[in-house]
Amino acid sequence: MDQNKPQEEDYGYNLFPERNSGKFQKGSIAESLFTFNHKCQVMLQFAMETSKLTVLSCLFSAVYKDRHFSCEDCDGTVSGGFDATSSQIVLCQNNIHQQSHMNRVVTHELIHAFDHCRAHVDWFNNFKHLACSEIRAANLSGDCSFHNEVSRFNFGLKKHHQECVRGRALRSILAVRKVSREEAEKVVDEVFDTCFNDHAPFGRIPHDKKDANFAYRDFENRDRYYANL
Amino acid sequence: MERDTLEVTNVTMPPRTCDDYWSEFRHCKSLWNRFHNYYAHGTSPSCGQWKEDYYSCREWEKNPGPETKESLQQSERNREAEQRKFTPVWDLRRDPPRDWHMPLHQGKSPDSQS
Repeated sequence: MDQNKPQEEDYGYNLFPERNSGKFQKGSIAESLFTFNHKCQVMLQFAMETSKLTVLSCLFSAVYKDRHFSCEDCDGTVSGGFDATSSQIVLCQNNIHQQSHMNRVVTHELIHAFDHCRAHVDWFNNFKHLACSEIRAANLSGDCSFHNEVSRFNFGLKKHHQECVRGRALRSILAVRKVSREEAEKVVDEVFDTCFNDHAPFGRIPHDKKDANFAYRDFENRDRYYANL
Repeated sequence: MERDTLEVTNVTMPPRTCDDYWSEFRHCKSLWNRFHNYYAHGTSPSCGQWKEDYYSCREWEKNPGPETKESLQQSERNREAEQRKFTPVWDLRRDPPRDWHMPLHQGKSPDSQS
């Protein structure tokens, strides 16, 4: 690896300028007047109470709203991120304006939090780990649902979900790491089969509310299930 | 593989309720699920096992013998094994990260990410 790389690589932190110092003090009147912070907090609360996928992911990751979530202004069009150094999910209050979008972003980032919690994920040095978590998050959060893809004018049918997952995982990697597209594609290809088929904690790819309800039911009945296997 | 008889007699009920097996079967066969399966995997879903498990479950409730139980349990174990078929890219933890619930400290230096 190039010796200069550690100095150039900022691991995507440039997208989240408030990670180390916010423009306004947390909880200040200025923050509530001049940012979307309050709206973000309200939508997050709603997501954690009503979206079954979000609830499931929260339960599995043992996350607490006040400790593990932060609503901040972000750069560009990024919607959120997972900060492994502080074990926090960052929600971009200036880029999330609809509840359905919030639900999806929270679920996406909770998949990362879940992976961080259950496995030794080397976010900063192992591209395969990063790629795997991004594949899983794109696959399981609803990012690549038929409806969302159509709204992006990506019209595909047979196995299009996989194409979408590959593409979005690639985009996410390129957004936070200074690597070439070829290198990122190679890593995604290497781990795709394993990670696309890892459906933890849901046990299935939740395509719609019914899938989410079934996954939630499995979670509620888990004690009985494992005791009688 | 032979199961220890003691393990079998300790098991008191099917892993899922029989209604759950039937609802999984119906959900599997539904138009939406067939569409989603084609969209994700390019194939029709295979739903026969859910139906078989439902009948095994009913049989378990009526005549809870070791063979009935074993048939349903083996089906569920196969289902679990399918989920673990691929070698993970990472090592699993025994416990969550030590700092998972630790309070955030103020004035973190930018270099702390490395």
